Amino acid sequence: MPSLVEIVIGIVQALFIIAFSPLMVGIMNKTKARTQKRIGSSVFQPYYDLMKLVRKDSVVSDQSSWIFRSSPWINFVAIGTAAFFIPIFLSYSPFGLVGDILLVIGLFALARFFTMLAGLDVSSSFGGFGSSREMMMSMLLEPALFLTIFVVSLTYGGSNISGIVIASADSSLILHPQLIFALIAMFVIILGETGRLPFGNSSTHLELTMIHEAMVLEYSGKSLALIEWSSAIKQLILLSLIINIFVPWGISSSVSIPLLTTGLLLFIAKVSLLAVSIAFLESRVARWRLFRLPDLIAMAIASSMIGVVFFYL
Amino acid sequence: MIIMDTNQIMIFSGAILLIATFGIVTRRGFADWLGAYRYQSIVLAAITALIAYVIGVWEIYVAAGLTLVIKSIIIPKVLLYVTRNLEIEFKVETNPYVSLRASVIISAFLVALSYFLTQQIPFKSDPIVSTYLPISIALFLIGLFVIVNRRSALNQVVGLLIIENGLFLFTLTLTHGVSLIIEMGIFADILVGIVISSILLLRISRTFDSLDVGKLQNLRDD
Repeated sequence: MPSLVEIVIGIVQALFIIAFSPLMVGIMNKTKARTQKRIGSSVFQPYYDLMKLVRKDSVVSDQSSWIFRSSPWINFVAIGTAAFFIPIFLSYSPFGLVGDILLVIGLFALARFFTMLAGLDVSSSFGGFGSSREMMMSMLLEPALFLTIFVVSLTYGGSNISGIVIASADSSLILHPQLIFALIAMFVIILGETGRLPFGNSSTHLELTMIHEAMVLEYSGKSLALIEWSSAIKQLILLSLIINIFVPWGISSSVSIPLLTTGLLLFIAKVSLLAVSIAFLESRVARWRLFRLPDLIAMAIASSMIGVVFFYL
Repeated sequence: MIIMDTNQIMIFSGAILLIATFGIVTRRGFADWLGAYRYQSIVLAAITALIAYVIGVWEIYVAAGLTLVIKSIIIPKVLLYVTRNLEIEFKVETNPYVSLRASVIISAFLVALSYFLTQQIPFKSDPIVSTYLPISIALFLIGLFVIVNRRSALNQVVGLLIIENGLFLFTLTLTHGVSLIIEMGIFADILVGIVISSILLLRISRTFDSLDVGKLQNLRDD
């Protein structure tokens, strides 16, 4: 049974993810703007956007049903719940007792399912094709993600995120070569799950290039704020998973103020570095044709398959 | 602090070599896979130097240096120079027999197969053999698959080069370094082989107006 201090720290970790996630989006947008020789908006711009959207009225089509109105809330609650299982600066989360990494993926799938329903619900043509693309992508991404997680769970003995992070904190990539393959696969999957560039372009509003944005085209006001915020949280959760599973150096393993502070600062440094490198990668590549995207996902699957082979060596 | 021994570094380098090989398999364009082949050769040279360090024979260091110079600098340069006049549509593999995504998965299965095969052979417990032998056989199988799969004769050269790298690793692993004169002979052989195959490619492209090996069996009446 976790102590009261641990529970407080666990809640602080989850709130940290929720509060910090728009900043990550800002950092990525700023990096992309700088690589395109633009000044770019401030890194805090996503916060201003969210505040402005919350104050605005939202317009809802009279043809839409309750699915359209409730799906932003389901999205936010599902992804916000997933944030409680992610260790950030303490190597275990006290809520890890009730759910493991499979639950986190399940919550993501729930959020995605309701976003797809909402895209279909208003029967706009863009929502429809956005949903069908998203269905295709998620159908291909999920087996890849599960294979990758199998590699990690086999290596560290268990699918509990806290257990994985504790085990990986005193291990290294060099000791487990299968994790390099898992890391490659995970990186590709994260680009796909967050709709980053070889998969979809999240920053334009050109309808043909977007996957996720096409489904939420009808939202405005508070609902749009919730949707954008929850996709920012999802992105930060995935980034912190990749960091805390593969490079968890400096994460605090016990409750003490200096260790927690260094853990927090190191985490912010590492996640910003990862976000900046993803943004650089995005400005280097062009968007792939939709039917070539399975090539990328096949690479992720093949990579994690070799990871499994290396584990049983 | 985590202590790493040479055994773990060897397994790690083997993993990196496999990743570099997959980098070649996934490329369609000629210049793309040539770049990936360059990376693979650099990794191979590093592995050769590592084996030389473990065994302690100075001749293998020379072989590592030769690998670095010949395979990562000279062979790509020669290939680029010889094919500079070929048209661009000959250089990109647009329509392989098995699609790219399936070939990546098949290559992963080939890696698993080579591990399965080498575990049937009883070896004395030698870390070099047990680490690199399956990888060299995997390289061999992947190279064969690439040759069978690609239509363009120019892009079949890449399979040849992967097989050659696999064979180099195979010899090095099993013999722990053959004498230097044989290594030199092999390297000279590769260079001549590349030059001959590029001349052959030029002749094919001039005669058939295509590098598609599927069209070679068509009869012509001139």
